[in-house]
Amino acid sequence: MKPSVASLYQAVEIAQDIPPLLIGERSNTNGSKRFRDCLLAEDFDGCLRIGLEQEAQGAQILDLCSAYAGRDETADLTRLVKLYAESVKIPIMIDSTTPTCIEACLKLYPGRCIINSINLEDGGRTLDKVCRLAKKYGAAVVALTINEQGMAMTADEKVATARQIYELAVGKYGLRPQDILFDPLTFTIGAGDENLLDAAIQTLEGIRRIKQELPGVFTVLGLSNISFGLPPAARKILNSVFLHEAVEQGLDAAIIDPGKILPLAQISEEDRAFCFDLIYNRDQGLDKSPLMRFIDHFAERVEVDEADETQEKRPEEALHQKIVRGDKDGIEDILAALLDRYPPLEIVNQILVPAMRHVGELFGKGELLLPFVLQSAEAMKKSVAWLEPHMQKVDQEEGTKVLLATVQGDVHDIGKNLVDILLSNNGYKVFNIGIKVPAETIIAKARELTVNIIGLSGLLVKSAIVMQESLPQYREAGLKMPILLGGAALTSEFVATSCVPNYDAPVVYCADAFAGLKALKDYEAGQLKSTVAAPKNGQPRMKPGVKDVNIDRSHPVPEPPFYGLRHVTDIDPAKLFPYVNEQALFRGRWGYRRTASSSAEDYLELTRTTVMPLYEDLKKRALAEGLLQPKAAYGYFRCYSEGNTLYVESDDEVMPFDFPRQSSPPYLCIADYYRTREEGGDIAAFFVVTIGDKIAVETRRLFEADAYHDYLMLHGFSVEVTDALAEYWHEVMRRELGIAVEKPADMTGYVTQGYQGSRYGFGYPACPDLDAHKMLFKLLEPEAIGVTLTETMEMVPEVSTSAIIAHHPQAKYFAV
Amino acid sequence: MRYICANCGYVYDPAVGDPMNAIPPGTAFADLPDNWVCPLCYADKSNFDPLD
Repeated sequence: MKPSVASLYQAVEIAQDIPPLLIGERSNTNGSKRFRDCLLAEDFDGCLRIGLEQEAQGAQILDLCSAYAGRDETADLTRLVKLYAESVKIPIMIDSTTPTCIEACLKLYPGRCIINSINLEDGGRTLDKVCRLAKKYGAAVVALTINEQGMAMTADEKVATARQIYELAVGKYGLRPQDILFDPLTFTIGAGDENLLDAAIQTLEGIRRIKQELPGVFTVLGLSNISFGLPPAARKILNSVFLHEAVEQGLDAAIIDPGKILPLAQISEEDRAFCFDLIYNRDQGLDKSPLMRFIDHFAERVEVDEADETQEKRPEEALHQKIVRGDKDGIEDILAALLDRYPPLEIVNQILVPAMRHVGELFGKGELLLPFVLQSAEAMKKSVAWLEPHMQKVDQEEGTKVLLATVQGDVHDIGKNLVDILLSNNGYKVFNIGIKVPAETIIAKARELTVNIIGLSGLLVKSAIVMQESLPQYREAGLKMPILLGGAALTSEFVATSCVPNYDAPVVYCADAFAGLKALKDYEAGQLKSTVAAPKNGQPRMKPGVKDVNIDRSHPVPEPPFYGLRHVTDIDPAKLFPYVNEQALFRGRWGYRRTASSSAEDYLELTRTTVMPLYEDLKKRALAEGLLQPKAAYGYFRCYSEGNTLYVESDDEVMPFDFPRQSSPPYLCIADYYRTREEGGDIAAFFVVTIGDKIAVETRRLFEADAYHDYLMLHGFSVEVTDALAEYWHEVMRRELGIAVEKPADMTGYVTQGYQGSRYGFGYPACPDLDAHKMLFKLLEPEAIGVTLTETMEMVPEVSTSAIIAHHPQAKYFAV
Repeated sequence: MRYICANCGYVYDPAVGDPMNAIPPGTAFADLPDNWVCPLCYADKSNFDPLD
């Protein structure tokens, strides 16, 4: 008998005479808004209707997914499975990664279904459970080529991961090859991502080789990812052509919207040629990329509201659009055409600068995300660089001049550099004089360069104080230009009340780089004014924290594996990735936030097709190029508390770590979590960890090469991997102390401190003072792992972090 | 509707409220006071994205 799946009513062969087997994708809470809305409204008949429609459109199997945060997946999916089993003639595919939910559905279903899906992301724990279920209930499984290192991008990786899964599923759990449908993953070739130019080729090759090297197995693809980022009409055609090519390589099944696939015969030869060039990344000896030619060719096909994409655009509009879209491709041709008509400076001032302002407005309205703004800035930079040789020297002396610096003692420069990128690509002359700059140097440079405005930046709490305290120096030096202040520790209240009175010209708080740009515009309009404290209901910011003040004094003190310090230099960087806070990375560091106009599904698709591939690529690159060199200096020391002080005993001396106490209830202080001498003393644990200077050097190189987008990406990545190392090393130390009874199940568990004790970073809200680093460095000697201190006690390289670890179960985050 | 902190990944769930800031269950994100901050990383409301 040929391998088949079955409903109560019919059997369907997986290998169709005319492939592929069509699996409908719309009965899915994550893929279809309509289906999700029905489910949320408990309209199960509506959910069923979506299945029946797909059946009518030609689907041969229906994927069924009810996963939705906040709802009971098992209750929903079992109810839907029952309903579909009775009313839909074709078999179903159970789309869930929760083994208990899968089993509940398998028990109910009166036929043979497919489980969607398994992978090796968690090292095989879930795969173990699901394969056993597949064996027990005789189900088939979809297997995604993902392992602990991430999603397989190249054909080699796809085949290797498939083989890994095959060996487990067949060799260990006794499934037959024909029970497995491998999905070698599809990534978009429609968004212009340099790293994905050959993504379609890799997927097609993956299909061919999996079929060849693992005889008997089937292949399946989630097809529509291939065209994400393109207009709907073009997507339909590209999806259909790509499906045809995939079937040629041996694809057995496709998960698709059956209403949105065209037979190849309905697609003209000419249309197909553009699709083939894009799929196979063929430049055909032309200057324009296959993607640009594809977009141009299908431009007329788009809906009426997008009709501005026609080819006969005036070059002025074309340039404007290139900048707004952040598309550098072929921009020289447009500039050359414009240079016949306008002087170069006019092109800059009349077309390029207004386009960048439009980009800023779109960002301000929440319609454009930061990474795309940076791509626009790159297109701007490229245009200006191309025009510069045609300009006379005198042109560059015009315009407002800005001096930028990160203040004394502070090494953080991402904020300052984003301001630099934005201002210099909006037509301002920027002098970026670097990090750790003393006030005297800033004053001297401001005079020498006759700048119109100074911008000061700094991340640390300490830097806010430096700004406040150095302003009188600027006043005494007789400077009269406005000063802009930016940094994570600043608030408009602080600037208004503590900084503005210290200087005679306007002092302005800028919450982000765009606020800096706005300040420059205000300056040019003669409207720049000092920040005034906005009385926000007169309420100071809330101070969250535990309200529990009775700290249990009898909690046992764990036994450390050793006393003193140790240095560890052989940490496997790949082990850090599971500890990366992806939400903080994607949304916070990278700025891939959900815009006002996008839905949860849009965001999910952005994540899946743009952000995740970027992240996967960075992980691979970081490992391949040895950019991550994680090291730790750590130790355990006898200690006892006395009031606000923790006395830490090293070999030859007792070091007093003074911690601040909250000034309002419950008056917490880190020292409270340790026993006093009378109570028998305690142990204190510390670490300094770093991922090494190599990634910092590469990050700087990207900024200097004007690769703004990649600069932001690598910088955010390095910061979050540093945090991941801290999280990982904290766990290692909890294990060594014997207090890591159970690992948090996922990243949320780490974010919410779902473990015993707490880790307080020096410089953070519970112990903001960095001076403790002086003693910490004596205790741990982290110079041996390449970490040193600046004169203001900040660690270098920036990708380092330090902490004191409290083992007491009541110890959690708080702010003083 | 739940909201997520872009700075640290903390999720504000109206069904749970926020005990660290003494916010009772049943409080919609929009109804949180303007001076409310993330209980884990102290980022203000503008740093939150809708999640659902």
